Amino acid sequence: MQFSWKKQTYKPIGKRQLNVTWQYIVLMVLAFVFIAPFLWLINTALKDTSELAAYPIHWLPTVAQWNNFAQSFTVINFPAYAANSLVLASMYATLITLSSSLVGFGFARLRGRGKRSLLLIMLSTLMLPSILTVIPTYVLFARLNLIDTYWPWVLWGLASSPFHVFLFRQFFSAIPLALEEAAIIDGCSYFRMYCQIFLPLSFPVIATSFILSFTWVWGDYITPSLFLSQNNTTLAVAMSLGYTDGHGNILTNVLAAGSVLYVLPVLLIFVFAQRYFVRGIVTSGVRG
Amino acid sequence: MKSSQRGRWSRYSSRTFYLFVSPWILGFLFLTIAPLIYALLVSFTNFDGISQHWQWIGLANYIELLHASDTWFSLGRTLLYMIITIPLSIAGGLGLAVLLSQRLRVVGLFRSIFYLPSIVPIVATAIMWKLIFDRDVGALNAIIERLGGSPVTWLIDPTVFYALIIMVLWGLGGGMIISLAGLQGIPQELSEAAIVDGANAWQVFYKVTLPLLSPVLFFQVITGVIYSLQTFIQPLLLAESNGATTTSSVPSSNFFYMVNVYQQFLYNQRFGYGSALLWVLFALILAFTLLVFRSGTFWVYYEVDSEQ
Repeated sequence: MQFSWKKQTYKPIGKRQLNVTWQYIVLMVLAFVFIAPFLWLINTALKDTSELAAYPIHWLPTVAQWNNFAQSFTVINFPAYAANSLVLASMYATLITLSSSLVGFGFARLRGRGKRSLLLIMLSTLMLPSILTVIPTYVLFARLNLIDTYWPWVLWGLASSPFHVFLFRQFFSAIPLALEEAAIIDGCSYFRMYCQIFLPLSFPVIATSFILSFTWVWGDYITPSLFLSQNNTTLAVAMSLGYTDGHGNILTNVLAAGSVLYVLPVLLIFVFAQRYFVRGIVTSGVRG
Repeated sequence: MKSSQRGRWSRYSSRTFYLFVSPWILGFLFLTIAPLIYALLVSFTNFDGISQHWQWIGLANYIELLHASDTWFSLGRTLLYMIITIPLSIAGGLGLAVLLSQRLRVVGLFRSIFYLPSIVPIVATAIMWKLIFDRDVGALNAIIERLGGSPVTWLIDPTVFYALIIMVLWGLGGGMIISLAGLQGIPQELSEAAIVDGANAWQVFYKVTLPLLSPVLFFQVITGVIYSLQTFIQPLLLAESNGATTTSSVPSSNFFYMVNVYQQFLYNQRFGYGSALLWVLFALILAFTLLVFRSGTFWVYYEVDSEQ
């Protein structure tokens, strides 16, 4: 593969054309490799059970078995688990966005003793591996009878998250001081300033924060599998365990169909709100 | 008068500051520090989660884990995994970023395609890759059978380790976006000036682009170390099992440090021993992160007057 930087401009046209063609070919092959798992998942979801048992392996379903999708709704109580995921994710996302915007405003706009060191502590907890606290929290919450309730998510949501706080802080810091001064002269309290001036301005960050935390809970496996029982758990956990026949054999095609339906919301959010994902990851990347 | 007014204002401001940041402070104290301290205390006991009479056993858990072959074996597997995945995913992400920073059409579409896997929920990712590597219905064996070979059981030792690495590398799009953002932050004049001075494409990449990108790559190494040392959901979900996700079904080549911790906690109910293992991991992650930070002075380039 020919690497070329801006040097292209200095090459004769014919050679540049060839180069571009090669780059497209490389990109297309790579794109296919990245998409292949999705395609195979959908392909498997449409196969008949006898086709799955065939040797050598059957490539494409002879007749698309849409019934697998219907079955994925009944083998496990898909709608109920999806509702659990939806409730938990939207509740957590709302709380974390709200609390993080408050804390972010504090760090961006207010002055207080020890602010610098607090900010430093908060930023260093970004590096704290989450798993270190999750398991001890489970043991602790088990003793407080908080297991198999949604309270842990409420508490985590209220507590704000360093990453989301950082997103808001960066955004609020960039807003001109003149706006704040004008509001203070008009006798506006900081809380009103936050509600009526800063929050309405920060739609892009609110969207980023909400979408990232929503998809996080939707995709999280370990926390619900630890903190919630079989009945109250989220779709992620129910799906990874539930698609079996009476004898514990995995119903591969139904599992695949269920997985398609499970990732679909995330894919839709991604299609319509890609820039918010990107904003989140870029902010986290350039802080170093 | 004026100074007392200012004092009142700064007291008001300070009070408001603490009011605003109190959610984080309380959360930090009760949901981060408290569990960590609790785990530290428990790590000196033989607590099993159920029985009421558990005792202080001092450093016994720590001494035991130092002598346990599981600890060293799982740590070795984790480090091997870390050493393989970090360079591959950073280099892969950077390669894609460079490809996508060319003046080409539909670059946006390709960027989305490469980025997409990194936001797919872990459970779905694992199911997809299990279907690729499956012995009886897998895409990989379908290709092998088409080429006249006989099916291979991939998801067992030792191949399951490579399957895991491929699955994790599939999600390198996150790093790609970070590198892409870094590339876009590099002023074009610099590479153009180098070209005018007679540098070829590789020289521009090595002498101009890479040094300017090093802080971004450095960040990826740090997060890579932190994430890969705590990897355990992927091996757990990739393990072959009949409708149950258990640590005992994880093949030994994917028996990572955290898999061991999880097993001690949830299946052996050894909360004390598990907590000791967790704290050792904490110390290890801290040590590795510091090591990488130290190494940064040798290979990370910062513009001198960028800040301060």
